[in-house]
Amino acid sequence: MPKHGMLVRIILGTAAAAVLAALAVTSAGAASARRSGGSLVGAGSSLVAPAVQGVWGPAYQAAKGVGIQYSPVGSGAGIAQITARTVDFGASDAPMTSDQAHHCHGCIEIPWALAATGPVYNIPGVNGLQLHLTGPVLARIYLGQITSWSDPALKRLNPHLKLPGKKITVVHRSDGSGDTFAFTDYLSKVSRTWASRVGKATAVSWPTGEGGKGNAGVAAIVSSTPGAIGYVSTFYVYQNHLHMARILNSSGRYTFPSVKSIESAAQLVKRVPANTAISITDPPRSAKFRNAWPISTFTYVIVPIKSPKASQLRAFIGWALGARQQKAIRKLVFAPMPTLVARVAHSRLKKIHP
Amino acid sequence: MSAAAPAVFRRANDRLARRRVVNHALELVAWLAAPVGVGILGLVVWSVAKRGASQLNLDLLTKPPVPFAIGTVRQGLANAFAGSLVIVGLATAMTLPVGILVAVYVNEFARRPVRNGLGLALDVLTGIPAIVIGIFVFGLVVVGRGQSGYAGAFALAVLMLPYVARATIEVLALVPDSLREASLGLGVPRWRTTVGIVLPQTIGGIVTGGVLAVARVAGETAPLLFTSSIVGNQIAWNPAHALQTVPVAIFELSEQGDPADTARAWAAAFVLLVFILVTSLGARWLANRSRRKLGRAAR
Amino acid sequence: MSTLDATGAPAHRPFAGRRGARVGDVVLPGMSGLAALVAVVLIGLIAYKVAAGSRLALSTFGLGFLSHVGWDPVHGRFGGASFLFGTAVTSVGALILATPLALAIALFLTELAPRWLRAPVTALVETLAAIPSVVIGLWGIIVLGPVLRDHVMPGLHSALGFIPLFGPAGPGPGVFTAIVVLTIMILPIVSSIARELFLGVPPELKEAALGLGTTRWEMVRGVVLPYTRGGIAAAVILGLGRAVGEAIAVAQVIGGVDNLVSWNLFAGGNTLAAKIALEFQSSTSDLETSSLFYLALILLVFSLVVNVVARSVVRRVARRQGLVLR
Repeated sequence: MPKHGMLVRIILGTAAAAVLAALAVTSAGAASARRSGGSLVGAGSSLVAPAVQGVWGPAYQAAKGVGIQYSPVGSGAGIAQITARTVDFGASDAPMTSDQAHHCHGCIEIPWALAATGPVYNIPGVNGLQLHLTGPVLARIYLGQITSWSDPALKRLNPHLKLPGKKITVVHRSDGSGDTFAFTDYLSKVSRTWASRVGKATAVSWPTGEGGKGNAGVAAIVSSTPGAIGYVSTFYVYQNHLHMARILNSSGRYTFPSVKSIESAAQLVKRVPANTAISITDPPRSAKFRNAWPISTFTYVIVPIKSPKASQLRAFIGWALGARQQKAIRKLVFAPMPTLVARVAHSRLKKIHP
Repeated sequence: MSAAAPAVFRRANDRLARRRVVNHALELVAWLAAPVGVGILGLVVWSVAKRGASQLNLDLLTKPPVPFAIGTVRQGLANAFAGSLVIVGLATAMTLPVGILVAVYVNEFARRPVRNGLGLALDVLTGIPAIVIGIFVFGLVVVGRGQSGYAGAFALAVLMLPYVARATIEVLALVPDSLREASLGLGVPRWRTTVGIVLPQTIGGIVTGGVLAVARVAGETAPLLFTSSIVGNQIAWNPAHALQTVPVAIFELSEQGDPADTARAWAAAFVLLVFILVTSLGARWLANRSRRKLGRAAR
Repeated sequence: MSTLDATGAPAHRPFAGRRGARVGDVVLPGMSGLAALVAVVLIGLIAYKVAAGSRLALSTFGLGFLSHVGWDPVHGRFGGASFLFGTAVTSVGALILATPLALAIALFLTELAPRWLRAPVTALVETLAAIPSVVIGLWGIIVLGPVLRDHVMPGLHSALGFIPLFGPAGPGPGVFTAIVVLTIMILPIVSSIARELFLGVPPELKEAALGLGTTRWEMVRGVVLPYTRGGIAAAVILGLGRAVGEAIAVAQVIGGVDNLVSWNLFAGGNTLAAKIALEFQSSTSDLETSSLFYLALILLVFSLVVNVVARSVVRRVARRQGLVLR
């Protein structure tokens, strides 16, 4: 028998034990997963991430034993990943374009939550006080036409504030984003220059400004850059202690995104088109929309109609559409969906089959 | 000779003095260089230790992360530590047999040109950037099938293979031929000689090589980014799904602005660093010990 | 007298009548040969998969990809020029900073250090290589970046701002921080190879020079460095390969600026490897993913070339040194 030191023998023994332990644990894990049904993997919108990762994921795991694995890589990437079938479901705040829908080869979009995005700012001396903006002025800022916080257009809107002469640092999303889609959708409606020059999409050629990755990225840049303005979905405002500007809606009120103001805007939906492309930005002047927040958006889950995980997907999405789960995400500033949309969502869900 | 030294000697002395000054100056530079090199190491380790150790608590290892938590919640990175354990363990299990067999072939059976060719192949494998290997495994395994711990483990195994193979080759070469010849001369079949006589001599070296490869790969982020990054926040052990790993968790947390996230990143970095330093220094010390012993035995 | 034939197997096998022995003697070489084949095939497979993934981008952009600056997912126009530039600037910059330092450390360890100091310092410098890149990146973002941004970069800019390299500092960390980080990462590689090379210089040569009256530095300059010139070149090339391939630490500190090619080291930038690490998950189209594969293909080709060149340099040096010794 060749000579080994005692030390080497101990190490050998430990290593062998460790390998055996790892194998045991792994097979136990695999066995338990088979018993409990595995997990669903999704990627996409960072707007819906607080709901999916923060509330629904842990609750679903606790209730049904199925894990929800999610990566907030942006709505554009979510559509790309579900098209490539590297995930089980995609999440996007922007409805798929006809091109994307075609490439996805039989994917179906189901609205599953209702939230909002809005402009946040970091102005020394003004943080915490109500900044007032209008749609056209916001468009001009993002077009690069208004470059300083002391611009007369801004002063006119905010006589109650002492705006410094600081340069405006415009911040936008660098990744394909549903928040961008809602934001540019709104800007296109309130500014003809924006509509013709830039348009609306999940990713546009921004005339000016710097990009942040995901809602978290934009929030980080705005909070660390004095004089910055950006747009983030509402949850990130609270999580990062940012300041949201109030926007003048079509009914003449300066509103703020809240469950009530988002719900009010959602009443704009009269019928859901076949491609579920619902736009509820900039509701028109009316008593009904008096308090509406003009940059609200539905957010969708995208699944293949034919999928090996169809039953698990139907179970999860059906569960998330339920009244209890929709109520659970209210504290993250998600509003309840109008009955019409919820009905369409449930009926579309039935189309998924293995 | 004369009161004043001749011009030729004076010039020679000036030049000698200058040469001496240059020499001392450069020796000083070299003397300063080493502390700079060691100092950088110390700086990084000190930063990680200071910021990481203060944030270290048992929660880090036992509690899962709670993203988008409202209010203060005690969070940890338990899912990352569990996933790293599983994935690195699997990678080691995948690499060791293949690496040892490659080394056996190179040392015991291959002819010179094949040996040179395989040496080149192993060197090339070492030189391929980890991120390219990550993209490769993504294209091979993840496309169409989705991410999984197995895919991540496979990517790490590809990274580890040349290290395990090379370490085993070195140790096999140390085994004296006389041992092999004696065994064959007694009639023991070739394969039995290799497996029963030669390999057991090298177990220490193989273990060392394996441990060093684990230390090398425990902190690798790039290959896992594409193979095991869409993960859940609960502690999971099933490699059929993507599992969170410590380096990926550190990478993701380092990009966040939230100081609580950064604190957890430092703590995890501290644990990772301690693990890697202890295993690689320990393995190296062990290797020196067994090399000294083998050297003594050979004499 | 040898009972072994060319492959090392016994020339005639007196006890090999047992079938088990013969089976084993086929199985072991077979299995291990298969493993060796796997190792070689793996390289080919990697090259094939990366090339296959980039096929769409190759057919869409061709070689023009290498000269186009800008990464535009909105219009589907991607180009690798800014990343090639960033990779070149960061790795060459790191080599410029690391090589003299590594050589100085190696010289210190072989010529100047007292014997008891050599082993611990060597071990410490080599431990630097064991620190994972994500940890160095984290340190770079939180500790190094602010120090460079708040003190070093403005200082250099005000003192040497007329040189375009030292332009105004950008908001975050940038190319310069990435260069420092890469320097830290390749320092141990170059210094450990250099140290072994310096140890291999025949003492007779060194003593001969010293005997002729040279100072120690002149001996180093005249004997050690020329003798090890080839090996040092190989070490530098290997360090270059490491710097080019580093994705994670660079991604964390370089600032991710895609659309410009600028000599300003204090602005943000991006490299081939870092771009792949940052963008791959959030790719929004097949063309974008394929363009990222194209970047990986460039990286792969480069690392293969670096490896082959370094190896041939080493082989040439070994041959030449063999001649000198004889």
